[in-house]
Amino acid sequence: MIKTMIALAKMQFKQYNIYKSNFYLFTLNRIVEVIVYIFVWQAIYYQTGDAGGFTIAEMTTYYILVITFSSFALWGINEDIAHSIRNGQINRELLNPISYFKYYFGVNLGELTFAAVIGLATFIICSFFWQLVLPTNLINFILCIFIMLLGVPITFFIQMIVGTVGFYTSSIWGMQILRKAIIQIFSGIIAPITLFPLWFQELSKWLPFKELIYTPVSIWLGNTQMNEIFFVIIKQIVWGIILYFIARIFFNHAVKNITINGG
Amino acid sequence: MPIIEVKNILKQYKIMEKNDGLLGYFKNLIKPQYKKITAVNNINFEIEEGELVGYIGENGAGKSTTIKMLTGLLTPTSGKIVVNGLVPNEKRIQNNKNIGAVFGQKTQLWWDLPVIESFRLIKKMFKIPENEYRKNLKKFTEILDLEELLDKQVKNLSLGQKMRCEIAATFLHNPKIVYLDEPTIGLDVFVKENIRKFIKEINKEKKTTVILTTHDLKDIEDVCDRIILLDKGQIIYDGDKQKFKDIYGKYILAELIVSSKNLDIANNINSNNFEIIEENENKLKIKFKHDETTIVKIMNDISKYCVIEDIHMKESELEDILKEIYKGAYRDDKNNDSTSKDAI
Ligand SMILES: Nc1ncnc2c1ncn2[C@@H]1O[C@H](COP(=O)(O)OP(=O)(O)OP(=O)(O)O)[C@@H](O)[C@H]1O
Ligand SMILES: [Mg+2]
Repeated sequence: MIKTMIALAKMQFKQYNIYKSNFYLFTLNRIVEVIVYIFVWQAIYYQTGDAGGFTIAEMTTYYILVITFSSFALWGINEDIAHSIRNGQINRELLNPISYFKYYFGVNLGELTFAAVIGLATFIICSFFWQLVLPTNLINFILCIFIMLLGVPITFFIQMIVGTVGFYTSSIWGMQILRKAIIQIFSGIIAPITLFPLWFQELSKWLPFKELIYTPVSIWLGNTQMNEIFFVIIKQIVWGIILYFIARIFFNHAVKNITINGG
Repeated sequence: MPIIEVKNILKQYKIMEKNDGLLGYFKNLIKPQYKKITAVNNINFEIEEGELVGYIGENGAGKSTTIKMLTGLLTPTSGKIVVNGLVPNEKRIQNNKNIGAVFGQKTQLWWDLPVIESFRLIKKMFKIPENEYRKNLKKFTEILDLEELLDKQVKNLSLGQKMRCEIAATFLHNPKIVYLDEPTIGLDVFVKENIRKFIKEINKEKKTTVILTTHDLKDIEDVCDRIILLDKGQIIYDGDKQKFKDIYGKYILAELIVSSKNLDIANNINSNNFEIIEENENKLKIKFKHDETTIVKIMNDISKYCVIEDIHMKESELEDILKEIYKGAYRDDKNNDSTSKDAI
């Protein structure tokens, strides 16, 4: 099973890599994003003498890491699934000897691997131009990566849910935008969570999105307490399970519809 | 024990009836009205391991619907299907391990990648042992002439090249049963022949059961031993191909090239031994049974009305027979011996 998923991930990765220009373009794109964010915050800092409570070096690191991690949090296979449902390709994929979920989980891993490679390239290039704050110890670094990886099933199940909407409506465009917007706001891509109103911070504490980017970055910067990390891990696991069941039920319902009404 | 058992299968599609206009739109929203279409109506058959079955019928007869039910992609409205001991729509993934399927133009190959990558993925997914994979790949490459294609991206292949690869992919894991829904659609004669040869060889070697739907009856002539003929969702013939021809194929078709014709012969001639099925200025198409009359007699009759220049005759082929059946020629004596459902 694992082998099959790795094979699928490799296929998806290769599919991206066929177009080498993909890699350069995406990386360039990320770097431009980093530059824009950093310039905006530098401007704020020099005007007000404050960058949301961060030092300017921390803020720079924050954005470089955010952009490094962002493709990992935002990319995925919901478009592929919606496509597969709309053009009937799903009928082929339902004839695979592994479940549709596992199949696409494998594909998703390939997608995320590509996102990770772009993130890494972005990070390395940025580290030549800016002074970065590094994790104070190895444990923090490992925890940062670990929390981020806990987000993988979560974003996957959300993608499955959004993709399955494609079965009920002819376009998932709106859902896509919504999904991206929610992740961008709640994960801290737009701005650090601490800059938002208190009620928003309270809400984001219970939602699973902060841990896609904000929490790992904050662990990296050494701003997170151990007991909070513990809470966050439990939270992500619980969300993973809840989203799994929602995605599963929703998807099974769609498949049942397909097998009764025809694809 | 048969490998496929189909008992009293009924499949109805529910489709929403569309009301026109804005009012109709809201009506649909609030209380959608459904209409039922019966695609497959109470069909029964059994297929033994290793059989090559041609599943034929007009457009919309219900062939694809049946194939989808056999693969578990569709749930029958009522009735029972057992494939290889499993109910396909209940144990789909388990059933998938034993089957292969080709659906017209849909592909299981990865569009942007070289063909061989998709083959490797199939090897992983189906857990095909290395030596078995090698052996099959070598053999398939040979028969289907894939050598040059394996390293090409799928999107750069022509339709025929793609279908050859698709067929190879479908048989790679030694499936017990393969469903081919119009595998030869849009292909040139050479590719068609290639694919037929492949199916026959694999069937001979591995006893693979194959169910083939097609509108090219040469496929059936060449590959299948048994025909199941579907008409408006019902089976009207099931049995041996040769017997099918014997029963229905007693007609002879003749084409007469004529001249100096000055009236509509079909309306004027008085004969119940033969039938004029097509008539124009200088051509007549005639159909008759050889045990009822002879061409000489017919020519005699017709020559009263025109000059016969030339004549071509042929025994009816599968295609002609089917044309007749579709036109309803046999529907009336359906209860007579002619449509006897050949026991299996
Ligand atoms: N998903 C669906 N929803 C509603 N009706 C359908 C659906 N699929 C097929 N039908 C109808 O069911 C009938 C049988 O269709 P089917 O596709 O099985 O025919 P077929 O024998 O495969 O025809 P063809 O030779 O054109 O492929 C047709 O009348 C078709 O319109
Ligand atoms: Mg069809």
